[in-house]
Amino acid sequence: MPPEPILRLENIVKRFGAFTALHHIDLEIDEGEFLTIVGPSGCGKTTLIRLLVGIDEPTEGRIWLRDKRIEKVPANLRPTCMVFQSLALFPHRSVGENIEFPLKIRGETASRRKERALELLDLLHLPHDFYDKRINQCSGGERQRIALARALAFDPEILFFDEPLSALDFRLRKKLEKELKDLHERTGKTFVYITHSLEEAMVMSDRIAIMRQGRFEQIAVTDEIYARPISRFVAEFMGEVNLFDVEGTASGGLRGRGVEIQANATGGGTELTLPQGTQGALMVRPESVRFLHPGQTADFIVRGILRASYALGSRTQYKVESSEGIELAVEKLRQDRFMGNVGDEVVLGFDMQNTHMIRER
Amino acid sequence: MRIGRATRIALYLYGVLVIAFLYLPLLSVGFASVSKARYLTFPIKRYAFQWYGKALESYTVQDLLWTSLSIAGIVTVISMIVGFFGALAFARYQWRFRGVFQKLILLPIFFPQAVLGLALLMWFNSIGIIPDWKTAVVAHLVWISPIATLVIAIRAYSFDPALEEAARDMGASTWVVLKEVTGPLLMPGVISAGLFSFLLSWGNFPLSLFTTGADSTLPEWLYAKMVSGYSPLVPTVGILSIATSMILLIVAFTIYWFVRSARERGARII
Repeated sequence: MPPEPILRLENIVKRFGAFTALHHIDLEIDEGEFLTIVGPSGCGKTTLIRLLVGIDEPTEGRIWLRDKRIEKVPANLRPTCMVFQSLALFPHRSVGENIEFPLKIRGETASRRKERALELLDLLHLPHDFYDKRINQCSGGERQRIALARALAFDPEILFFDEPLSALDFRLRKKLEKELKDLHERTGKTFVYITHSLEEAMVMSDRIAIMRQGRFEQIAVTDEIYARPISRFVAEFMGEVNLFDVEGTASGGLRGRGVEIQANATGGGTELTLPQGTQGALMVRPESVRFLHPGQTADFIVRGILRASYALGSRTQYKVESSEGIELAVEKLRQDRFMGNVGDEVVLGFDMQNTHMIRER
Repeated sequence: MRIGRATRIALYLYGVLVIAFLYLPLLSVGFASVSKARYLTFPIKRYAFQWYGKALESYTVQDLLWTSLSIAGIVTVISMIVGFFGALAFARYQWRFRGVFQKLILLPIFFPQAVLGLALLMWFNSIGIIPDWKTAVVAHLVWISPIATLVIAIRAYSFDPALEEAARDMGASTWVVLKEVTGPLLMPGVISAGLFSFLLSWGNFPLSLFTTGADSTLPEWLYAKMVSGYSPLVPTVGILSIATSMILLIVAFTIYWFVRSARERGARII
């Protein structure tokens, strides 16, 4: 039996005047999972999380926390807590007082509060002398951890995150992403994270929900979203991708522009089918494309000219222009890098098990 | 930009001259108050502090100080409270008539104070209130509380709304948010608004002239005595008036400095 959802959204609509920010949204969040809601700016993810936290109310629809309806319950009466984008640490309070804030509100004694604050400093790898520091004496990464400690002190049933890492530099962000995932495993709490950054979502989440213009485009486990996107939007949002326009043929196979398709790779018995006459897109990720040497073959073949190569450190990326003028991205590990020169004619190949069909809806 | 040595000296000289021109007259009031002679002549032949003694003994002066202090004190307290909530409405909350409110609040500042004082006096008369120092409190508030509101609003503009939302999210009720977050964060603005209010009320002449009725404030009395009945008591009381303002400012800055340096040492204040 699948775990009971801890939070359930039913038909949520949010309007601001004439503008509809959220269109009839449904979502179930499982107990203990790390769900990331990803989307470009303006897709409604911030609006959504403000409804989940209780800062705003939905125009229509219901929100269930386990078996309680909470859409009209204000934020201060909900057992959930959010780490804000700006972190919202109180500048007039010390680090210790910040962490203890939710405990103070709950009326816990000073000694109990301090004990808990020090435990949380330990949990987040901050030395105890931070307890008396002021917020403006702490670096960006330290503030991040303090904000987390404060949210954990609240002991929420669900912990929400509104892009708290977006202001940090790249290396620190990468480090904290992993720490956050760790923390999720250690605390066993339900984490709901929103971001516009695909990498952040990929590193941390159990499931990803992709949002677009106030609706969910696709909700699935991380690998599924990456390998089997439901639409071009999701495919392109989830990183570099090669797409070929294809059409179903009378014989049940596929016909595509710019790509040679081996007879047995598509049609009956494979996932790569399209009803006759309908349009679709064949998707392959750059790391699944190979450079073919003379005599080698693949299920799908593309001929073209190598236009550029970019060293990305552990990997190298290539731009290839096909004979039909379509630009393709290919990525290889550094040790497997292609030894050709820019301007060379190349043959690219990829196989059916790494290829996914996006059907037009 | 590089400035030549000659230009720099000229600029300093210009600054010193402007300051001297503006503040030397004040110094002469100071001299007049300690001269033994009835009228100020330079050089002062004999110094005497007798007028300070006389001023402090005089019931009239004690009365004046008390009236001015009462008005300024009450105006300060009310301006700080009104300004605090006014600033929240001005800067922090979205509401229907916010734009109108933001413009209306500037209106009293644009009226010449003499006109405002006259208008208020006529209004008090027409609704049958006999003017005394309490009506002056109302008159001062009309002019000063918008200024206090603006001073606090500047502070309110610069704070992150997420701080209040976060406090609420962690279980704080509206009252606790106000007490724990909004209040302490706006406090520096409220304090400077209070200082402004006190000083503006303490030194105000035109509004007091029209609206104190039979009562009199320090600036009013200074004016009346200049017009008729000058004595060295006039500069003496003038200097006392300045001294009060100075003491207030010095106390305020000392407290500010003390709190700040305590904070920097990491001590917990309040």
